[in-house]
Order: sequence, then C-alpha cells, then structure tokens
Amino acid sequence: MERARISARQLFMLAILFEHGSAMVIPLGVDAKQDVWLAILCGMVFGVGLLFVYYRLFTYYPNLPFTSYSQRIVGPFFGKVLALIYVLYFLYISARVLRDFGELLLTFAYPETPLFILNAVMMLTVMYAVYKGIEVIARASQLFFFSLYWILMLGFVLIIIAGEIDVRRLQPILEEGWPRIFHVVFTQTLYVPFGELVVFTMIFPYLRKEEKVWKAGFLALLLSGINLAMIMGMNVAALGADIVSRSTFPLLNTIQEIRVANFLERLDVLFMIALIVGGFFKVGVFFYAGVIGVADLFALKQYQRLVYPLGISVLFLSLAIASNFAEHIKEGLRIVTIYMHVPLQMIIPIFLLLIAMVKHQKKERKGR
Amino acid sequence: MKIKRYPFLIFMLFICMLLFGCWSKKELRDLALIIAVGIDKKDGKYISTFQVVNPGNVAGATQRGGGSTGLPVALYTSTGDTLVEASRKASKQISRIPYYAHTNLVVVGEELAKEGIQQIFDVVERNPQFRPTANIVIARKQTAKQLLSVLTPVDKIPANQMIKTLELTEMMWGENVGTRLREVIESFSLAGKEVIMSSFHVDGNRKHSDDQENVRTMEPTARLRASELAIFKRGKLVGWIGKEDARGVLWILDKIKQTVVTVDWKEEKEALSYKVVRAKTKVTAQLRNGKPIIFVTVATEGDIGETFVAIDFTDPKQIVALEKVMQQEIKAEIEKAVHVAQKKKSDIFGFGEVVHRTYPKEWKKMKKMWNDKYFPKLDVQVKVESFIRRTGLRTRSYIQ
Repeated sequence: MERARISARQLFMLAILFEHGSAMVIPLGVDAKQDVWLAILCGMVFGVGLLFVYYRLFTYYPNLPFTSYSQRIVGPFFGKVLALIYVLYFLYISARVLRDFGELLLTFAYPETPLFILNAVMMLTVMYAVYKGIEVIARASQLFFFSLYWILMLGFVLIIIAGEIDVRRLQPILEEGWPRIFHVVFTQTLYVPFGELVVFTMIFPYLRKEEKVWKAGFLALLLSGINLAMIMGMNVAALGADIVSRSTFPLLNTIQEIRVANFLERLDVLFMIALIVGGFFKVGVFFYAGVIGVADLFALKQYQRLVYPLGISVLFLSLAIASNFAEHIKEGLRIVTIYMHVPLQMIIPIFLLLIAMVKHQKKERKGR
Repeated sequence: MKIKRYPFLIFMLFICMLLFGCWSKKELRDLALIIAVGIDKKDGKYISTFQVVNPGNVAGATQRGGGSTGLPVALYTSTGDTLVEASRKASKQISRIPYYAHTNLVVVGEELAKEGIQQIFDVVERNPQFRPTANIVIARKQTAKQLLSVLTPVDKIPANQMIKTLELTEMMWGENVGTRLREVIESFSLAGKEVIMSSFHVDGNRKHSDDQENVRTMEPTARLRASELAIFKRGKLVGWIGKEDARGVLWILDKIKQTVVTVDWKEEKEALSYKVVRAKTKVTAQLRNGKPIIFVTVATEGDIGETFVAIDFTDPKQIVALEKVMQQEIKAEIEKAVHVAQKKKSDIFGFGEVVHRTYPKEWKKMKKMWNDKYFPKLDVQVKVESFIRRTGLRTRSYIQ
C-alpha cells in the first residue's frame, strides 16, 4: 500500500466512472430484449447486496487492502493463495477491458491501425497514471466526471430533441416474464459492471473518513445503475430491441441517429470521448488494484517498480487472450462469468465475511 | 552527459507516439465523396451506381452564378456478386477512395425491389462509414442508374434535390414519406410491421438527362418527380399505393404534418380546400371474442384555404357542417388506404405491433399468420375529428 488518502467525493466519482466505463458502450444485458433496463436495475439491486459484503469486510479491517486481510481471515498460506488469485484476476480483467477498448476503437474508428498500437497508447497512459498513484487517478476522476456527465446530458437532450425516442419500442414490458430477466441478471448484469466493484476492496482503505465508504459506494452504485438503465433504455427506444441486440455498440448507433436541424449530426465524437474516458478509468482501477496487490503480497516497499513490467504483461495479455472479437466476447460472457466473476465476486467474499464475523464474535467474547 | 541524454530519448519516443494518430490518414483530395448509391441487379450480380460529388464544380457553381464548366456530380457504375465487391471494384474507374460517410440516399431499382431487398442492408449496418440516417427510395419503372443520371437545375446535386423534395412534400402535401435505412432494417425484425418507401420517377425525355443541356433549358427535358409509395412485404415489393390513398397511409402512420384536403359542398364538386396545420393520430387495439380490432383516431386542426362556392364563414353552424364533410373525406381516404393494404396482405401501418404491445400473449399465436390471415380481415374503426379554426383574411367570399 502506498501512503495516500482520497476523499469520499473522489471515491464516489471514481466509482461512477469505473461503473460507466465499458458498460456504457457495450451491449449490456441485451438478451433481455426490450426489458434490458429492468435487467440492469435488478442487477443493481443485487449489486447493492454484494457491495454490502465488501463494505462489511472493510469495516472489520479498515486499514488493510483485500490482499492483506484475506491472510488475516483464513491464515497466511490460504490467504496468500487467495490474494494471488485475486491479483491475477484484477490484472486479467484489466487486460480484458483493455482489449475491449482496443476492439471498439478498431471496429469503428481505426480500421487499419494494429490493435497493438491502440492498446499500447492506452496502456502507457494508464501506466503513467498508476505510477503517479491513487491520488492522481482520483483527482483525474474529479476532472473527467463532469466532462463525462456533460457529454451524457448533451447526448440525452439531443436525442430527445431529434425525436428519435419512441417509448412504444419498450413495450410490451415483461413479454417473456421475470425468468428471462433474472436469467440475464444472474448471468450478466450483476457481475458486469456492478459486481466488479470488488476491485474497490483494494481502494477503500485509502479513504480519509472510513465511515463515508458506504455512502459514497452506495450512491455511486445507485446512480450508475440508474444511468446505465437509462442509457440502455434509450438505445432500445431509439433503435428497437432487435437492432440493439445485434449491435456491437448500441450507444454509437443511437448517437448516429441524432439529426437536429440539419447540422447537428454525426456526433460520434461524443461516443469516442465517453469510450476513452470510461476505458481509461476501468483499465486504470483494475490495473492499479493488481499492482498494489502484488506489492502488498510480496511486501514491496515501492509498488512503482512493478508498474512497467506488469503493464507490459497486461498489454501483451490483452493481445493474447483471444484471436478474434467473437472469441473475446464469448469468453467474457461464458467462461469469465462462471469461473471468475461468480466465485471471486460473490462466493469467496461471502465466505470470507462469514469467517470474519465468527472470528470477531469470538474475539469480542474473549474480550468480555 | 549520460544523465542528459535519457530525457531527450524519452521525449523523442513520445513524439513518435503522437504519430500513431496519423495511421490511416486520408487526405480530402484523395476521397471520392459518394452522395448517393444506386443498386440494381442483373443476372444475379449487383450493379452499384455511385453518384460522386465533384467538389470544385459545386463550389464554383455558386460563385460564378451557375455558369460553371464542369458538372457537379459524376456517375460510376460497378458490378459484383456482393455490394462490397462492387464497391472495391469501382476503384478501377475512380481515382479516389470511395467514402460513404456522406451518403444520404440509397436508390433501389424497381426490378431489384420486386426480387427482394433484404440482402442489401447487411453491409449498410456493418460498415461504420455508412449512416443509418440515409434515406432510401425506389426508382419507379426504372433502374436505379437511370434515376441517378438526371441532372437537376436548382439544387445542383441530384441526390440532395431528391432528399429535399421528399422532405418538403412530406411536410406540405403528405403523399410521400422519407424512409430511413434503419426503419427498413427494423421492420425486418418485426412481424407486425411492414415498410413503405417513396419512389421517384423520371418525367419527360430521358435521353439526354445526364447531359448539361438538361439544365440549360428553363424546363429541363428530364425531371425527377416523387411518385407512389412502394408497399413491401418481407422485403419484397408487392404493390404501389398513390394519390389520396397514399395520404391515407400517412394519416395512419401519424406522419402528416400539413396538407390540403379538398371536399365537395352541396352540388359543387371539389369546391373547397381545407389547409391542415396540425394533425395527430392515435392507433389502439382491442380484443373482442379473440379477434383484434384496431381503432384509428385522427384529430386535425386547420384553416380554410380556398373556396369556389358561397359559404358564410361567419356562421358557426356552417363551420360545424363543413367540419363534418372534412371528417368524411379524411375517413374515406384512410379507409381506402387500409383496403388497398389489406388486398396486398401487407401490414404497412404497424397494426400488428400495436396488437403486440397491448396483447403480448395473444400476439404469439397470431404472429406467424398475421399478414396472411389476420390482417386482411382486420376490423379497422376510423374516427376523425377535424377542426376549422380560422378562415383566412376574409369571412365571406366575393363569389355569390
């Protein structure tokens, strides 16, 4: 852990940017067709539960990151194994998000540029930010929070003015009933992006006032859940459920529909900015958590030394994880969800929490 | 010495990184701005026609008052098994890279439309350059190429002329409607909605339509004119609907912005014109005995535009009587449109989707047979409410 402090407001903004990150641009939970907004909202509700687990764990060990308190909870050996798994998970996900980001840019804006170049430029920026530390990332999030919000609002107003929204496309609600929605929630929307907040177990200890963690995290989750539901709902209302479910980036298609007064059109650049800002923070937070985790696990004093080797590894990993876009997406939806998200976001934290609760109760009894 | 050199090297590296942004740079003068694409099919091969803007001549025309030497657009034709192939093959003739980001119009030849247009939209969706906001029209009784090879006098670029004509006539008269590519693609996925598209037709002598002579005369020998609406069914052109019937379609689709309705008054035929200023249509569905019934409610508001008979417009009773006549006329138009569509067994009004939204469970049973079984026998109840708000600058007419 580095010696740094961030404020609750910074945590809130960082979490918002992190949640919006790639979730805003990818077809999130589109298997729910026109009920996608409901699937996201439900995912958010269950996500609050997960966040509560992470928060409770934090309250038992307010000064330690996940990789340290896992050793306290299940003993040094298993704790270290667990920490190693988590660190690898964070680094792997940061490589995945980096790949997402590169693929998106490549598909729609830079068809002839090699993936390596785009990923390298992004990763170098992320590496620089992580080198500078969490305070710098948090301050940058304060800056970008408002620019992203402005873009979102501008896009929202424009799409409504352009008259592309037809709420009837969201009907009939619950055509296939709740089973379809819960299927989507528990296979997709709960884990990405809400369950991914597990990475913040590495960042909570930096908070200046620990009692504010819950408030900041909860509000960020709530707000980003509502925002994402609105964005996906808007996509469906503007394009129809079928196009959204077949699209690689629904938000881009929606923005392309904007045509106001014959001159306000082709606003793809708004999408680009949102994509790059979101991508930066998502890769950045995961990568930072991974680096800090390694430093913590191997008791390194200066985590900065790890930034460049690990960064290069993540960069090459992002290229190596899949040979094409379809493989990458399929991996993300099937393998990563079942073998990584479910155990690492849900099962292990809940187990750890139970053990920690038992341990603390024992301690309290002894104390008496 | 050693300490000083490293920052400089890193600086050089960073400068190099900025150059990545220029990876696939394309100069403006290396791009062929394609404003319209025409698609025909012959012997199983697609024939693409590209209307390419000649930027120098477009700007020159306005500066020199129209008397420029070159033509504002150039036409290229290319064949291929797929559209992407045809586009790439066009490089044999065009010296610049085909650039589709400004393509505002897609023209489909009537023959191809009858054969089916479902294939041609995949590339449009897939290609990031292409805009889903582009309009699509059918070339009536012609190939797309023939329609695109007409020079136009006022708006120099023919594609723009067509789009602007379409927009204007949709707004002022309401027998044509602009259809965006996205609407067509969306209709393919909806069982309860078929698509309509406007068509264009070349009036007059087509022989020298692509010659500058065409725009040198006051009345060009070949002229572009918006014509009937094409009715599609599962991506195939099945019929045409024109004149008042076409307006009936637009009434139901709630696309009428303004129009003029001419009605009879007592013995006099076509005696009075009513300018519609605002119109609003609501379509609802109900199930009775398991059978869907559609209710179309139209509300219009407008002024008296012209009269050939003596009516005392100061008398509110007369106005009410007139409103009744208007309602009858508009209702008749709508009912005729429904009749034509039912005959073609194509639900161009999206009634099926209304049923889908209101009765999702029952819809599942009807979905597959909707166009062929349910829609042709559908009970459509039309209700029109017309209001005459004002009568213009005069009350009574000088006609006695």
